Amino acid sequence: MKMILPHPEKCVACHLCEGACSFKHEGSFVPAKTRIWVYDFVDEGIYGAVTCFHCKDAPCLSNCPTYAITRDPATGQVTVNDDKCIGCKMCMVACPFGVMGFHMEKNVAHNCDLCGGDPQCVKVCIYDALEYAEVEPNEWMLRLDEVEKPAAAT
Amino acid sequence: MPYGWVGQVLRINLSEGKVTKEPLNLEWAREFIGGRGLGTRYLYEEIDPACDPLGPENKVIFATGPLTGTYAPTGGRYMVICKGPLTDAIACSNSGGYWGPELKFAGYDMVILEGKAPKPVYIWVYNDQVEIRDASHVWGKTTEETEDILRAETDPQARTSGIGPAGENLSRVACVINDKSRAAGRSGVGAAVGSKNVKAMVVRGTGAVEVADAMKFSELVFESLRLLNESPTATKALRGLGTASTVGFTNSIGILPTNNFQAGQFGEANAISGPVIAQTVLRRNKGCYSCPIGCARVTETKGPSKWQGRGEGPEYETIFGLGSDCGVGDLNAVLYANYLCNLYAMDTISAGGTVATAMELAEKGYIPAADLAELEFELKFGNPDAVMACLELMAYRRGRFGDLLAEGGYRLAEHYGHPELFMGVKKQDFAAYDPRGVKGMGLGYATSNRGACHLRGYSMMLEWFAPREMRLDPFTTDGKAQAQKTLQDKAACEDSSGICTFTTFEVTPDKLYPMYNAATGENLTLDEWNLAGERIWNLERLFNSRAGFSRKDDNLPPRMTREPLTGGAVQEQVVELEPMLREYYDIRGWDDDGSPRAETLSKLGLG
Repeated sequence: MKMILPHPEKCVACHLCEGACSFKHEGSFVPAKTRIWVYDFVDEGIYGAVTCFHCKDAPCLSNCPTYAITRDPATGQVTVNDDKCIGCKMCMVACPFGVMGFHMEKNVAHNCDLCGGDPQCVKVCIYDALEYAEVEPNEWMLRLDEVEKPAAAT
Repeated sequence: MPYGWVGQVLRINLSEGKVTKEPLNLEWAREFIGGRGLGTRYLYEEIDPACDPLGPENKVIFATGPLTGTYAPTGGRYMVICKGPLTDAIACSNSGGYWGPELKFAGYDMVILEGKAPKPVYIWVYNDQVEIRDASHVWGKTTEETEDILRAETDPQARTSGIGPAGENLSRVACVINDKSRAAGRSGVGAAVGSKNVKAMVVRGTGAVEVADAMKFSELVFESLRLLNESPTATKALRGLGTASTVGFTNSIGILPTNNFQAGQFGEANAISGPVIAQTVLRRNKGCYSCPIGCARVTETKGPSKWQGRGEGPEYETIFGLGSDCGVGDLNAVLYANYLCNLYAMDTISAGGTVATAMELAEKGYIPAADLAELEFELKFGNPDAVMACLELMAYRRGRFGDLLAEGGYRLAEHYGHPELFMGVKKQDFAAYDPRGVKGMGLGYATSNRGACHLRGYSMMLEWFAPREMRLDPFTTDGKAQAQKTLQDKAACEDSSGICTFTTFEVTPDKLYPMYNAATGENLTLDEWNLAGERIWNLERLFNSRAGFSRKDDNLPPRMTREPLTGGAVQEQVVELEPMLREYYDIRGWDDDGSPRAETLSKLGLG
């Protein structure tokens, strides 16, 4: 499936993706409601962005008590259904990457929805640290390796 | 909530421990754009420009711009505005990092610190909760330790902006450091914060910044991003090599100030140049909030050396200040000195300039042997031990000599009876462009409202970097007055809007003002935008006039106007300041004493 593939080694921790994400989804710049996160441990020289990997074996989906999280069988995309979500945050606990977000006012969880195929974070990242790429969903362990690379390099 | 702004000012009276929130003066915001301009407007209204900058009657304003916190390219700046302890003039120091946007997300466009806390405090802002907390446990600590401790006791995602030991000890070269390594550097603003007994402001915000016309705004932003990504200045030079990319060029033409401006070429320049940094000590690039350029260098010293450490930097100005200007060509030493300045929170330009002044005074025999005997190092050019030792003396005001160093280069040189050896204007040290080889910068230094500064009117761009057919001859005075006026007004708008000067090589005023309009919902024309810049410049000038500044202060040290440079393409040049200055006053609509005429003020709505 096509999803957002981070290349943390190219990231400069500018947080532009967070701004673009919240601007698209909330209509304003509000990083607290973003669906992509930049971690910046500048001292350690470690920074990059993370967002939903739409895992093949998605713990958020299997842990949701109200079946609010579903997968599109055609695209493989994992989606939170606002109407069914009760805001219990089980999915946030379950997510191995910490990339399930939460909307305080709506009291629902939210994850990357790929902006319907035109992801704004990728568009705004002129460092090419984010790529909208065709990736096999079961390859997320490989991507995990990639996320850990800069730590090993320093 | 107004667009572009969050509409609220946080006022903290430290003497009474009182916190008040008031609506932002939107009328002023319209007239003065934001940040630098708006902060100056508040300051002009609220303090006596003749006050003691280190007294409780001075105020310190932390101000953001209307584009701060948005995804406008480099829309992450904030400014610290106060009466400058180093200069006694208006001060506005600009910084990136993450603190400015966080303040806006917490719901404040501006923080005004007034009075003086009876004991050391820090301010903890979490959205609408604001606390003045005891800071005795972090007083005396470096910026890094302070940030770690304060984040641990507030919120690990909080952003901090504050001072180090230099600010606490009221060293006049102290700066404000946020996010451990981004500096609101110049004019000694850190000492002003220290004089209020404020160690830091720790901020965490979860709110939003809204813009008026989302479609238009995003269209303009993506267009600027494209331009920046295609620009060799932004990508090859700044992203690839950082600001240090400038070293090779300025050294080759002979305007890289060396040994306190006694020379314009430095024999060891290559060792501290951009490419060498990129190949050796650079760990990663970093960008401030919303930055599509990423010029910051995350570095680490390399190889066997007594100077070991890691941190951020060096910038071009630091390479000059702590490197060539002090005759130091050891990259590890320059890095280490840079890290020390970040830890103590000192301006690398003014700290370097002060050490260089001290070195020349010592080499020329103007410092009595008795004073030098107290030092445990040899105060001479090229000695990195002297640089490190001086930085520590300066930050902590150690001993009699440390006390003098902490007063900055001008007061040091004056104390030893040779103020002409101080290289700067209005008691503030020059930046890293010897004005004898780029005369527009000479006029810019002389007339800059906050004392010598390269960012107020960066005519280097026009005189050396521009394509040949657009270039102004750097060796003549022709057209320099007009160029400086235009550039100064332009920079005033850019700073005030909340973006970084490096974006503006591509995002020119005709592209920036529509972005401001789309964000705020205003309808300024390009002329009105430029006029706002002129208004800000004149307001700063008015502040200075009331603080006692006049034509006599728009001056350069005699070395710049009388002693020619010797090497490179620029040899035999001096700055012919007088004719440029006369023309400049004329173009500005100022009288012979450098004060704005009544009709100028009424044209700008300042009358």
